[in-house]
Amino acid sequence: MSMGGFAGKILNVDLSKKQVWTTPLTETMARQYLGGLGICIKLASEQIPVNVPPLSAESVFVLGIGPLVGTDLPSSSRVYAVAKLPASGTVGWCGAGGFTFGAQLKYAGYDHVIVSGKSEKPVYLHIEDDRVEIRDAGDLWGLGVDDTCDSICRDLDKQAGVLAIGPAGERKSAFAMAFVDRISTLGRGGFGAVMGSKNLKAIQVRGTGAATPADRKRFHKISRSIFNAFKEYPYLKEWRDMGMLKAFPIVPVDVYQRMKIRRAACVSCPVGCKDVIRIPDGPFAGLVKHTSSAINLFTPMIYGMKDPGEAVKLITDLDNFGLDMFEFFGLMGLARDLSASGVISLEHDEPKIDFQSLESMRAWAEKITFRQGTGALLADGFSAALERIGPDAKAVAPPLIKGMQPYAGPGAALPWDRFGTMELGQVLDPRGPHVGSGGSPTYFAVRPLETFPRHLKRMGVPDEAVSRILGPGLNQLNVGRLLRYSHSWFATLGSLGICARGQVNRFYNAELCAEAYEAATGIPTRTNDLGRRTERIWRTLRELNLREGLDESKEAIPRQWFKEAGFKEYLTGEPMTLEQAEEMKKEYFREWGWDQ
Amino acid sequence: MRTQLKGPSGMNYHVTYDQTQCSGCLRCQLACSRTYVKCFQPSAARIQIDSRGGEYLAVFTEACVKCGFCADNCLFGALKKFPEEVAA
Repeated sequence: MSMGGFAGKILNVDLSKKQVWTTPLTETMARQYLGGLGICIKLASEQIPVNVPPLSAESVFVLGIGPLVGTDLPSSSRVYAVAKLPASGTVGWCGAGGFTFGAQLKYAGYDHVIVSGKSEKPVYLHIEDDRVEIRDAGDLWGLGVDDTCDSICRDLDKQAGVLAIGPAGERKSAFAMAFVDRISTLGRGGFGAVMGSKNLKAIQVRGTGAATPADRKRFHKISRSIFNAFKEYPYLKEWRDMGMLKAFPIVPVDVYQRMKIRRAACVSCPVGCKDVIRIPDGPFAGLVKHTSSAINLFTPMIYGMKDPGEAVKLITDLDNFGLDMFEFFGLMGLARDLSASGVISLEHDEPKIDFQSLESMRAWAEKITFRQGTGALLADGFSAALERIGPDAKAVAPPLIKGMQPYAGPGAALPWDRFGTMELGQVLDPRGPHVGSGGSPTYFAVRPLETFPRHLKRMGVPDEAVSRILGPGLNQLNVGRLLRYSHSWFATLGSLGICARGQVNRFYNAELCAEAYEAATGIPTRTNDLGRRTERIWRTLRELNLREGLDESKEAIPRQWFKEAGFKEYLTGEPMTLEQAEEMKKEYFREWGWDQ
Repeated sequence: MRTQLKGPSGMNYHVTYDQTQCSGCLRCQLACSRTYVKCFQPSAARIQIDSRGGEYLAVFTEACVKCGFCADNCLFGALKKFPEEVAA
């Protein structure tokens, strides 16, 4: 039986042997692991060698898209990668929307790409339908992400999707990222370094084929109903006008409106929360930047930079280098504190670390990218830096999870102190801290508890589990148990290819996802089937990590989180204790039915 | 005078494109290809969007029957349709 939705093929690339070949994506694999993120995880469990060093030639990464990508199901464009990541040493997922990369991969005829080996020289992978070439990237090596995308597409007559790294990835910085269509990132933890370690500068893909649902009429009915829901959404214009600033108003709206050129959308998305902005005045007037959310561009202002134009310029440079900005700022803070306390000494010609100074921050971004001076000490992330400097550094360092700085928590970048699923998820997701929405109602907002039952049902929480999460009177909240279902819901969306951002996943529910999946693929799927398959997906990821040495130390909840001005209980706002968080961890594993 | 082909709705539309409003979502191409080639295949759509560069471009191919489905599926206001007379 041929499946709908899927392209039906996996592209295999061995950069050492300079070989490419395809293998079929089997229906068995799809039935068990759904697609997209789920199949990426399964393939990673089969392909990543045991105990492989993340940046060795033997390491393998898997890229993939779900069966709904390339269709008109609203906001179904997600691209996922799974690799052993250098920052954490764990096998983690990375996800991005990008622009057209995911859809182009589907139209080219592939659901997944498995990359192994290491090229002798810099190369990029060119995929154009069934023509797959490993091309010389000598002229691209050293270029920033934007210049790489421009150069690589210059001679193409039509649009192509591009996944590219900057110089930081080339030099294997442990917090280097890869960029999808220059606008979205894969992924925190050093995925860019994984590509760089293979001398793989970019993957370019263009496809002229099709995505074809198994049951076209039924699929159209489902897709249309979701499209109409978007169309009638009263806040759609606000989301368009403000993008992600609607959720995180980091700068005044008029500042953003002066800069915004246009909205950009992933293929099939009616929201278009991505931005193309232009600095209107000042020394960087005219600079154009694509971004998956304008809030990223103004993040330096959280750290003290005053001018929005300078903030945008700094992030543009960080993105072109291919550096994870949160790790960059975190490491800058560490280096500043260590040099102020005399634990380390900056070299005599190194600039003072000043978060308010664009010149300072740009200089340090360059030093880290090119491993110059003290930059070399920081380029491999927190764990390596602390190891090299010694115990005096650990006393000053922020709390870390899997070698990375958390997004939320005392001293973290984002001013949020309620302990919900994302906060606990920073510890329990094998990839480490990320700010991806798991579709949970606790995500960055204190919502009334009376809205939770409806929200949980939408997430696919079984009826009998609702009272385990909210208590018999539906007036409590068990964050650990809720996180289990948040991970399951995220795995559903990621495996199908649907965006998990709040302004999108609000239109989806587990039952609808099962119907859409069945209509697209032809594989019989009920709502509880999704639950079983996502349990298998998440268990596979965990077992893979246990195989690779995941232990208690990597899942330790930072004690600093519960000291003064620490995390607060989500519902009550009362200070939380470490013991409460530890109990949530146990509840999480119990709810999965796993031995911790 | 050549008879103007009619789209499935029986009407013909003049469709305008405002590139400043276009997000590059390609829903127009998805709607077109779904209708005319029965699958999602932007390369076969009768409207081609080029979202490279700062200014986007939309080109209607010779096969376009001016059905206006592309505009129906644009939620960004980039494509708008206006009924036009059908020449006998």
